[in-house]
Amino acid sequence: MTELFADIEPEPRGRFGRDAPWLRRLLLVVFAVLIALVLGGLTGQEAMRSEADGPRARLTLSAPDTVRGGLLFQARVEIHPRVAIAKPRLVLARGWLEGMQVSSIEPQPASETGVRGNVILSYDRLAPGESMTIWLQFQVDPTNVGKRPAFVLLLDGMRPLATISHTLTVLP
Amino acid sequence: MDLVLRATFVFFLILVVTRVVGRRELSSLEPFDLILLVVIGDLVQQGVTQSDYSLTGATTVIVTLALLTVATAWLSFRVRRLRPLLEGEPIVLIADGHVLERTLRRERLTRTELEAEARLAKIGSLGDVRFAVLETNGRISFFTT
Repeated sequence: MTELFADIEPEPRGRFGRDAPWLRRLLLVVFAVLIALVLGGLTGQEAMRSEADGPRARLTLSAPDTVRGGLLFQARVEIHPRVAIAKPRLVLARGWLEGMQVSSIEPQPASETGVRGNVILSYDRLAPGESMTIWLQFQVDPTNVGKRPAFVLLLDGMRPLATISHTLTVLP
Repeated sequence: MDLVLRATFVFFLILVVTRVVGRRELSSLEPFDLILLVVIGDLVQQGVTQSDYSLTGATTVIVTLALLTVATAWLSFRVRRLRPLLEGEPIVLIADGHVLERTLRRERLTRTELEAEARLAKIGSLGDVRFAVLETNGRISFFTT
């Protein structure tokens, strides 16, 4: 055997050698399980639908609860008033905006304000049965990793009408 | 989930494209081919991960591609009929000292290119070659008399 082959064992032994195909197979199984979990929704992005039904209004939210850095995603809020709402105000928890790029909120609110880190969007009067859909488009900051509350609360002035509990998890 | 689907689609798209483009073009990378491959790679990345900058996304795509690679290699190993589709087949270019011109044309190979490959294999004349085979990796094997 020439010196170029001196360091090569004819039949490698040891845990990572040719006689240990189990390690490679085990890793392939781990890969397959990982992909199965991803297909099952582990890495999020799929929109979840939540609903809060109050005596004066019904509120629905369609938004993912798990997102990844850089991802563009949409949250859709629908307000279905049963009685007239004189001053509809939508409160978005800080989790919706912390480390997120807000691409657009349509329709745009008449005014915006903030209370204790939450954002309040005020809209014009809603008549009974006059549903309103608000589209919110976001992009996730890649450094914004973690879990945070992202509830949505519907107010009539200062009076709570319906709340949807929601959390947003940003995967690394 | 869409990452897995997009990566799977792109994997099979690349498989089909490489089969259509032909092995010679892919094995002998001219500067133009190299730049084109880099551009294709960039377009593929945009199509698969889009705006996703996450480690989770990158891991998902890499693992998907790794599994598909192993799966196609395994299929090719186990199912003989799939081998030409997945890996291609060796093609004889010179048989018993005769250059098969039709096969050369089909593989978009000129006689000049064949002679150049023969010179690289340290063969002075095609007359000395008994068999030449275009291998699945795009290289040409020569067997002299």
